[in-house]
Parts: sequence; C-alpha cells; structure tokens
Amino acid sequence: MEHMGLKFAASPLVLATFLVASPAMADGVPAGTLIENTATAEFSDADGTPQTVDSNTVTVQVDELLDVTAAWQDGSAVAIGNASAVLTFEITNTGNGPEAFNLTADAAVTGNDFDVTVDGLAYDTNGNGIYDDGVDVVLGAGAPTPSLDADAALTVFVLVNSPAGVTDGDSSAVKLVAQAVTGAGAPGTSFAGQGVNGSNAVVGTTSADADVDGSLIARLAALSLIKTASVIDPFGGSEAVPDATITFTIVANVGGSGSITDLNVTDAIPAGTTYKPATLTLDGAPLTDASDADAGEANNSGITVDVGSAAAGASYTVTFDVTID
Amino acid sequence: MFSNLIKTSVLSVAALVASVPATAKDTVVLSGIVQLERVVTEDGKAQKVLAAPEGVVPGDRLLFTTSYENSGGEPVENFVVTNPLPTAIRLAEADAAFQVSVDGGATFGDLGAIKIEDAEAGARAAEARDVTHIRWTLERLDPGAKGTLNYYGIVR
Repeated sequence: MEHMGLKFAASPLVLATFLVASPAMADGVPAGTLIENTATAEFSDADGTPQTVDSNTVTVQVDELLDVTAAWQDGSAVAIGNASAVLTFEITNTGNGPEAFNLTADAAVTGNDFDVTVDGLAYDTNGNGIYDDGVDVVLGAGAPTPSLDADAALTVFVLVNSPAGVTDGDSSAVKLVAQAVTGAGAPGTSFAGQGVNGSNAVVGTTSADADVDGSLIARLAALSLIKTASVIDPFGGSEAVPDATITFTIVANVGGSGSITDLNVTDAIPAGTTYKPATLTLDGAPLTDASDADAGEANNSGITVDVGSAAAGASYTVTFDVTID
Repeated sequence: MFSNLIKTSVLSVAALVASVPATAKDTVVLSGIVQLERVVTEDGKAQKVLAAPEGVVPGDRLLFTTSYENSGGEPVENFVVTNPLPTAIRLAEADAAFQVSVDGGATFGDLGAIKIEDAEAGARAAEARDVTHIRWTLERLDPGAKGTLNYYGIVR
C-alpha cells in the first residue's frame, strides 16, 4: 500500500487542470450523503476459536452536482399578433441537490425577422402549464427561481410583446437561459463548501447552464374594403335622378393570417340621399334598422354592422339602399 | 508515583489479555482506504489516476481497498473478509478474486451464476447493481502474511 500512496502523490496538480467530470445522473445519490465502507474479517485463530476483526470505516461525502436542462414546451411556433404572447419552457434540476436557477430571456436571436420585447419571466404556481395572469408568479428583475429539489422541474413563462412594423408570417425566437445560482462553468468546476451539508458544489456535464430557443410567428390579419354602387331610376333605367335608388355594396375581405377581434363596418349616408328603411343586409341576410340584438343598425346618418371576430380568409358583404332626394 | 500506577495498570491489562485465548484477534489488522479514479489527459493521452477524494458526485468511480496483515506469531485459518457495499455504491464489475451476495449477505457466489427471482420477468441473471455484499476467502494467513483486497464501486 505504501508504494501505492507514493505513486499518486503527485497527481493533484494534474487533476486540477485536466479534470474530466463524471456523467450526470439525474437520479443520483442525494448531495450530502455520507458513503461509509467497513470490511469485517472472520477467521479461526491458532486454537480454532472463531474471531472477528473490523477495519476502520472510510467515509466520503457526496458533493452537490450542479446540472440543469431546459426544454421549450409549446411544440410549434407561438402566434403573435400586434400585442402580447407567452412562450412556455420547462427547466429541470438534473443535479442531486436542491438548487435555484437564474433565468434570462434573450429576444435578439440570430436569424430573427423581428425581435420581440420581453415583458417578464414567470413560473407556473398552479401546475396547469398555462400562464395565468395574476396567479402565476412573475419573477422580479434578476430574481432567481425558487429552489428546485433534485429532479424537480419548473414550468417557466416568457412574456413577450410584438414590436411595431412586423409583417404577417415573419418569424422570431427567444432564447431562455437557466444557470445554477451557486455557479456555472466548465464541467468539474468546484465551489468549495457551497453544496448541501457543507459539501462542495461541482458543476456537472451540463455546465449548470442550459439554453433553448422558443419560436414565434407573426399572425397579422389585413382588412380590405371594396365599396360599389348600382343605381335604378324610377323609369327602369340606371340614371342618378331624384327618387332613383342607389344600392351600396361593401365587401370586407380579411387577408393575411390570424384574425381581427372586433370588425365593425360603418358607412355614412351620402349628402343628398336618404336611407331606405329595412334594406340593410349582411351576407344576404336582412338586419333590422334598430339598435338591438342583431349586428346591424341603420338610420339617416349612417349604417353600422358589427361583424365581431373575423378570421383570415373570411369575407363579409354588407348592402343598403338610399334614395336620391 | 503516578506514572508508576499507570505502568502497573498497563502491565496488568497486558497480562489479562495474554490470559485470554483470543490473542489472535489483536494480531490481525484490517485497514481500509478509498480512492477516486479520474481520467486525466496529459500530452494528449488519457490515463486513469487514483487520488484520495475530497468529495464525490454520482457516477464517480471509487476504488475501495482493504489491507490485511497477520502481525501475530500464530497462523490463522479460514480467513474470510466480508464487505457490505454502502447503499450509495453499486459494484462496478465482478472480479474472480471475490464472491458476491445479492441477498444482504445470506448467500454468496459468483455473480454470473446467481439468479434473481423477478415477480414480473421470472428469474434473471444477477447484475453488478444487485450486489449487496462482497466476500474474499483466504485459506490461511501465516504470521507476517499481508496483502490487499479491493473492489471498484460507482456512486449511484
């Protein structure tokens, strides 16, 4: 044994420089565990009497391994209109002790058509995997996550907002970065005494630093309105003479992608004409002139048709008649 | 006066021990150490290096060594050393030098020959991860005989 001790006496210097970390094991022995090994010998002495001898107990403590993984949870690019959107991620403490993680979200990812603004980072408190405003906790600037036990996962939300001037179909990505609060760095980096029960904290194969991109795609609807008029005069022709009827047709086309949440088509009754009662229609169906449960309202100052939510690709046709004074 | 007293008492203890037949107990000594195996790269060559660990992490490979010596004047027979594996350690690999137990030390055998009853899959061959105890058997230790017994374990 003596020669064995000598043989390795010079090794610590080498170790410090070329340390190769062990593979991370998410289900590893908890940090702070004491590994104690004792051997026992049983034998018969010269008189044939059974004897027992124990060795000393060698003890080594399990250090805290710092490891983390991150995954994007949405599955496909999250649609973003001209307002806010939420990206969902999950971070997992793959180390062997409790650890909190610092989170950052970087909106300036190479290849982006546009960069969103990051409004905040939040984590799921009710376990439903969906961001609930006012329920899930929004992290303060620079604040870490709560401590996660070994193998525990946390659903993290990145709250973003679309900038102006985005074109329908443009794509963007946001990079979420999670780093162990105790420290991150090259695998094998050790933080003396900062692990569980005063053990060292050692950076594992993940470098205690995980990042993953979440994708966004701009979904912006575009509206076009086309208005046409046809005239029928009292004599069966199409001259715009007094008492002739003009039928106005307004076609609203929703292009692009996504949807318009509150499409409201309005038009004024032209000067020198009078609205012809009960002629307002939407897609061929008559609407009452009164302000009531149906979508339409019409009088001598103008017409209003409240279409409501309108998806891209949809088309709406509004017609009404006026009489030339 | 005081030192005389101590001397006397030491002598009497020695005499007592000598009168007990179990003197061999004090003549065989077991001594254990643990070393951490690291792969280090020097001049582009990877090599394994053993060193006393400050701490270990899951996946680390440890060499547990127990040294024995018969420092008494009489031979001992049927010298069997049993080493329960710490629960946080799994045996890295079997070795012809020792037999293993997968049932808490009740029975021992060669790892390849042990079967484990599995309620779902029926009997299966025991694996290194199933081992609970290791046992080395030496027929006889003559006075002055010494050596080392070791096994590799991996932190679970």
